[in-house]
Amino acid sequence: MNRWLVPALALALIAASAASLLAGTVWLRPQDVLAAIAHPSDDLPGLIVLQIRLPRVLLAMMIGGILGLSGAVLQGLLRNPLAEPGLLGVSAGASLGAVIAIYYGFSASFSLASPLFGLAGGFVTASVAFLLARGGGTLALILAGSAVTAIAAAGTEVALNLAPNPYAAYEIMNWLMGSLADRGWDHVRLAAPFIVAGGALLLATGPALDVLALGETQAESLGVAVGRMRLIALIGTALGVGAATAVAGAIGFVGLVAPHVVRPLVHHQPGRLLLPSALTGALIVVLADTATRVMRLGGPPINLGVLISLVGAPFFLWLVLHVRTRTA
Amino acid sequence: MSALALRNLVIRRGARTVIAGADIVFHAGRLTAVIGPNGAGKSSMLAAAAGLLPPASGTVWLGADLLSSLPRRELARRRAYLPQRAGVEWPISVERVVALGLAPTLPVFGGVSPTLASAIERALEECDLVGLRDRPATSLSGGELARVMLARAIVGDPEVLIVDEPTAGLDPRHALDAVRRLRARADAGRTVIMAIHEVDLALRFADDVVALRDGAIVAAGAATRVMTEATLSALYDVRAHIRHDGSCSTVHFVD
Amino acid sequence: MRLPLASAGLLIAALSTLVGGAASSGVPRPASRPMRVMSINQCTDQIVLALLPPERIASVTWLSRDPDASLMAAAARRVAVNHGLVEEVVRDRPDLVVADSSSMPGTRALLKRLGWPMIEVDSADSIERIRAVTRRIARAVGEQVRSETLIAQMDRELASLAQDSRPPLRVAAWDGSGFGAEKGSLFDRLLRLSGAVNVANEPPASRYGTPDIEVLLAAAPDLLVQGSEDRGSLRDYLARHALVRRFWGNGRTLTVRQADYLCGTPFIAESALKLRRELRTASAAIRARLPFAQTGLR
Repeated sequence: MNRWLVPALALALIAASAASLLAGTVWLRPQDVLAAIAHPSDDLPGLIVLQIRLPRVLLAMMIGGILGLSGAVLQGLLRNPLAEPGLLGVSAGASLGAVIAIYYGFSASFSLASPLFGLAGGFVTASVAFLLARGGGTLALILAGSAVTAIAAAGTEVALNLAPNPYAAYEIMNWLMGSLADRGWDHVRLAAPFIVAGGALLLATGPALDVLALGETQAESLGVAVGRMRLIALIGTALGVGAATAVAGAIGFVGLVAPHVVRPLVHHQPGRLLLPSALTGALIVVLADTATRVMRLGGPPINLGVLISLVGAPFFLWLVLHVRTRTA
Repeated sequence: MSALALRNLVIRRGARTVIAGADIVFHAGRLTAVIGPNGAGKSSMLAAAAGLLPPASGTVWLGADLLSSLPRRELARRRAYLPQRAGVEWPISVERVVALGLAPTLPVFGGVSPTLASAIERALEECDLVGLRDRPATSLSGGELARVMLARAIVGDPEVLIVDEPTAGLDPRHALDAVRRLRARADAGRTVIMAIHEVDLALRFADDVVALRDGAIVAAGAATRVMTEATLSALYDVRAHIRHDGSCSTVHFVD
Repeated sequence: MRLPLASAGLLIAALSTLVGGAASSGVPRPASRPMRVMSINQCTDQIVLALLPPERIASVTWLSRDPDASLMAAAARRVAVNHGLVEEVVRDRPDLVVADSSSMPGTRALLKRLGWPMIEVDSADSIERIRAVTRRIARAVGEQVRSETLIAQMDRELASLAQDSRPPLRVAAWDGSGFGAEKGSLFDRLLRLSGAVNVANEPPASRYGTPDIEVLLAAAPDLLVQGSEDRGSLRDYLARHALVRRFWGNGRTLTVRQADYLCGTPFIAESALKLRRELRTASAAIRARLPFAQTGLR
């Protein structure tokens, strides 16, 4: 099982992504997609596959991957199964940055202002959380993260409250629900370097995470620089999740649920969890994004973040109950 | 095998001085018990001796090497440290927990080589864990977990083994068993240091005893010389009687 | 749940005693020709501002000063503004409050309890209703002549719009705030009056309301109509999508102010005439067909 886990997940991800290229407002046949990829042109299937769905699937993979990966790293680092990227204030900070860029005119001057501000916002909150928690260990980091999350959320609400546009509340609510609709190659180009860099940093913490299962003191005694590792995980999360939030809005639950799904399959080893968790996160977001394109309930499309929470929350509840009865 | 030496060690936690100038050598091949009342500074001294707590002043020497000058991984290979109530946070199997003790030996990427696999096997056997190897470490009893942690500490065969209260929370049989295993490590030529509250066990198994009170070494030397009624009474502020009963000596505290 | 109800009740009681204590003199009596009219809804604002001179308006909502969302922004700047609060009504003591019957139920309920002179009008979301609502407000403020002038003007313009028999232009329309131009909305009505049909309401996209980029490609509209200028809306990824810029970027995208379709007023025909001119000009300038347009869909 263990040996086949990563290849199986990778295969499922490729299959889901390929299927995702077919589905949407305009349904394409597999041969249309193949033809569009083989001979790029400006006809309808060509544009839909290459300019719309391909960047969207790539974003879904990257965003889901970084969320799953960072969730696994943070759960291992904080040794808390409820840890998730939002905990360090990265998502809240990224949201605040994007909202400021949008409502105070920066995004009117150049179109990538909101993702860039989002990225900066995520980085600022994460750094503040880290500075607040410096020397205080893991619990201090959790507390500092909650504090900066609350401050950033309050900042978003103030920005909303004072925004010149009366529809701001409606729009920001909508944006906070997370979506990949109408994102294109611009967004891939913007997010990819940060997500790849963040992902590399997060993956590098793997071997140390295993040792950290013994607690911070034993990990230190076994040669792990726990403080430096915490910093690496934090920078990786701020880069990766900050970029993901900046592009797609807030997408919850993936970072929390993905590690739980695969944890038993890697025998609960925190270090081995990383790659499978990233693949699972990517799979969840690709499937959910495809579903938002296919499921139309009459009104506006259901948002990606909403759909994931809708399915993720009950699943997580089941998982919690299931795990409790099994290990208690 | 190398001795571990503390030279003029001063440890501060905030403004409070917890160890005020410790000067002591822990010899190879000997089991040293560090005793003293709660808050005497035992844990701080052990953590500093393990190189995990930087001293305010003074030095720690591992053989001829200054501890603070050793690279992390080398230090991790040469000395093992078990904190109080060491445990595991995820339901990882016993065998894999023991393998974590080899982390400083393993390459960053890549698997466990046959020599290392046999080291794990040996540690499992030494600590009677062969039957438990696939059990999740979180489902073990206190005594079993203590054996797993010890196996984790000795799997890399470190020169120095430092254990903070190996008997805490264990019933008499498992406590006895835990100290006996440390004794065996010392007999195999390693430097073994334990902080311990069970003075009976210290008296019975330790070669040397360091008595610590209020951050100062009150007495240090061979167990039989340090563990006198007078020293113990002064150390714990309770009258101590030592009874010799054939091969075994026991300490009784009366008020 | 019980607490907010209880406190709302307390508030009503307190305000009633406060205002009603001075009862007969505190609440103004309904007047046949009210001299100080207060509008507490963005859409009733538009009609009140169109019918009455500034000196007869106590206040309108602050939203009406926004030139993007209000046709009467200049007039609104000459009168005081309110935020639709009962406290402001009690403070400014207008002799008539004009409210919309579909919003702010709490405020209206409280004003009713206080017995304040108030008319509640329906949303004017069709030409018929525009006539009815304008006339109703005009009757209440005693300005029937002015309202009939405005309605007659609208009817003349509607007649002129109806004379145009050219086939409708195919456009895709959306509002930067995230609302679509669904069937039945004023935005959709404005487009139809202007001689355009919103492809987001036609097959294959008819289920979707707000178009996404795939809808645009599938339906290949000749022009895009972006409601409310892009003020950096969060939702407007569509307007900035590389494909939209590439295929509809130069000259194929028109913007229309929210003010033209947010509220139903007799000025809708004037807005439609203007939009029709812009649409025809833009359409005449189109040189090439969109490369992905599927003729079968037409």
